[in-house]
Amino acid sequence: MEIFVTGIGAISCIGNNVQEHFDTLIAERSGIKKGSHPHSERFLVGEVPLTNEELIDRFQLKINGSRTGLLGCVAAKEAFSGHLLREDIRTGVISGTSVGGMDVSEIQYRSYMNNGTHDISKYKEHSSGNSSEEIALELGIDGFVNTISTACSSAANAIMMGARMIRSGALDRVIVGGTDALSEFTISGFRSLMIFDEEWCRPFDESRKGLNLGEGAGFIVIESAASIEKSGSTSLARLKGWSNASDAYHQTASSPDGYGATLSISEAMKVANLKPEDIDYINAHGTATPNNDLSESKAIMQVFGEQIPPFSSTKAFTGHTLAAAGGLEAVFSVLAIQHGYLFANLNHRNAIEETKLVPVTRTTKVETIRNVLSNSFGFGGNNSTIILGEL
Amino acid sequence: MSELKENLKAQIIEQLSLEDLTPADIKDDAPLFGDEGLGLDSIDALEFIVLLESNYGIKIADPSKGREIFHSVNSLAAFIESNQ
Amino acid sequence: MKITTSSYISAAGAFLNGQQKFTFRETNWQKECYQQLGLDYPKFHKMDHLSKMTVLATELIYSEGHLNALMDDEPELLFANANASQHTDMKFIESYTQQGNPSPSLFVYTLPNILTGELAIRHKWYGENTFFITPQFDSSLFAERLYHAARKGGNWCLCGWVESKVDEKNKVTEECFLFLVALTDNTADRSSFAAALDELLTNYRNGNSGNLNR
Repeated sequence: MEIFVTGIGAISCIGNNVQEHFDTLIAERSGIKKGSHPHSERFLVGEVPLTNEELIDRFQLKINGSRTGLLGCVAAKEAFSGHLLREDIRTGVISGTSVGGMDVSEIQYRSYMNNGTHDISKYKEHSSGNSSEEIALELGIDGFVNTISTACSSAANAIMMGARMIRSGALDRVIVGGTDALSEFTISGFRSLMIFDEEWCRPFDESRKGLNLGEGAGFIVIESAASIEKSGSTSLARLKGWSNASDAYHQTASSPDGYGATLSISEAMKVANLKPEDIDYINAHGTATPNNDLSESKAIMQVFGEQIPPFSSTKAFTGHTLAAAGGLEAVFSVLAIQHGYLFANLNHRNAIEETKLVPVTRTTKVETIRNVLSNSFGFGGNNSTIILGEL
Repeated sequence: MSELKENLKAQIIEQLSLEDLTPADIKDDAPLFGDEGLGLDSIDALEFIVLLESNYGIKIADPSKGREIFHSVNSLAAFIESNQ
Repeated sequence: MKITTSSYISAAGAFLNGQQKFTFRETNWQKECYQQLGLDYPKFHKMDHLSKMTVLATELIYSEGHLNALMDDEPELLFANANASQHTDMKFIESYTQQGNPSPSLFVYTLPNILTGELAIRHKWYGENTFFITPQFDSSLFAERLYHAARKGGNWCLCGWVESKVDEKNKVTEECFLFLVALTDNTADRSSFAAALDELLTNYRNGNSGNLNR
């Protein structure tokens, strides 16, 4: 059964909607800069330059929850715009998140520690599942709602699960993706792991030191052909392949040989029934940590051998948006196919010595992009790959 | 020296949240890292850097140097003695 | 799909296929369980409670030889809970707000899916693994996902519901329910499978020794 993408939505530091993202990717303009909050002002981060109140106001959101929930609502709403709810189209929401309502919990925790006042009800926002419920509420969807929390591969896994639920006949149409807000929690955490670069992150560069954190949300709407017949939606691309594999190496580090990533990439190509030469662009996970980029490069070399397709990491534009990354990058993959663009891997100077692989360093117009492979690898050794293709 | 070692064991348990262990479970010369000893890894090495700085005022700029210093309670104690 | 083995651990004790294996006396019952199982896996002591309980409940299944079938055929791992890594999240927040030093070894465990990573590392399983957040144990979601796993062509799925939650009075509530599913056995349809799963967990929670194959 074929699965079609009929809607895309995005919000991150480089745009409040898909068009703004596309324009910024073409203009090669990173959204990463000094943060504007007490916990982020000393660092380079990819913040969405709108407060929670501004988000609610500008996007006329019905819900007022955690920032993770609000960002998710903005992107999911854009993806679902133009789609109508119908009883004969069973519609679900599957969203990935890693921090959930941590931003709300942090504020509550501080107020408790400082003056002993506790608004327990606020902690209901903490639960990761809450942001997905809020998205469903915002869209008026009362069917299947699910949350996946597998760190930075959460959104890719949500997309994969959505595809399977359509194939299994459980749903006709699903809004899938991920959302995560920036918080002191994640900044402190990645700094403590010493994989947080205080300068611009440099994916796939020999001098890379770590990631820049970002925030945002990316969602796509996927539908079966039967659903499109009823909804009349316009297809933008096809979702062709997906896979997840375990790296079984370390809680946070990728294996030196990229075994889990290799499994994930090759299995997704099997699901899509594609050969290496059918892939025209790889949107890499490319976090710019020394460990990920080397491990991912080795996996790409394993699968593609001498004929490595053009590849790049767009994380130097958006920062690493954690659970949202796979959603945003799925949107970028659809844009690449729709408009025929390879997006720049910003800040790249020198190839990693061990691999000599050079990513696409400038956003480049090409004749056609048939299939894009997008990687999302998470802590826990949770490696996922999805493949989007032309209609 | 033996007092320093006992303190170190308690601090290691505290810093790494090893709530299952008591200082008596950590032998002076047993390797702290790898599957033979406490099963610690690179993430825990970062905790040792914090521990040395906050409890003993010793800074280790290059985490890759840590492996030798953090080999065992004995080597940690010797390093602290010679750097204070 | 058919449940071939199940285990359940909480402060009340450890159960395998409905039979109580251990009772716990210590406050640190996870360490006690580790000792009772005679494990020698130093990494265990570094883990958060979610990972510890999952390792223990898996070992319990292993202890009876029920997992041997998987030695050459890695299982898919499907796990879920309602509160993600909330217990460790709170400890990590304390490390940077109160002590001023964010702890990397705590941060590692502020993701619930690290527990599937821990299982993969211990048993060298390279298969698919995922972690869901649902308001409560959702047997029909497991049934749906198991159906996907079967369609994919897998033989085994190790599933779990693992919770470690701390409330505002610092009271910790913990349980771990594991069930091993043979995907190729088609004796039960999805809805009767889900109903059996609910009953099994209810029995464990009530301390009843339910018979798995009833």
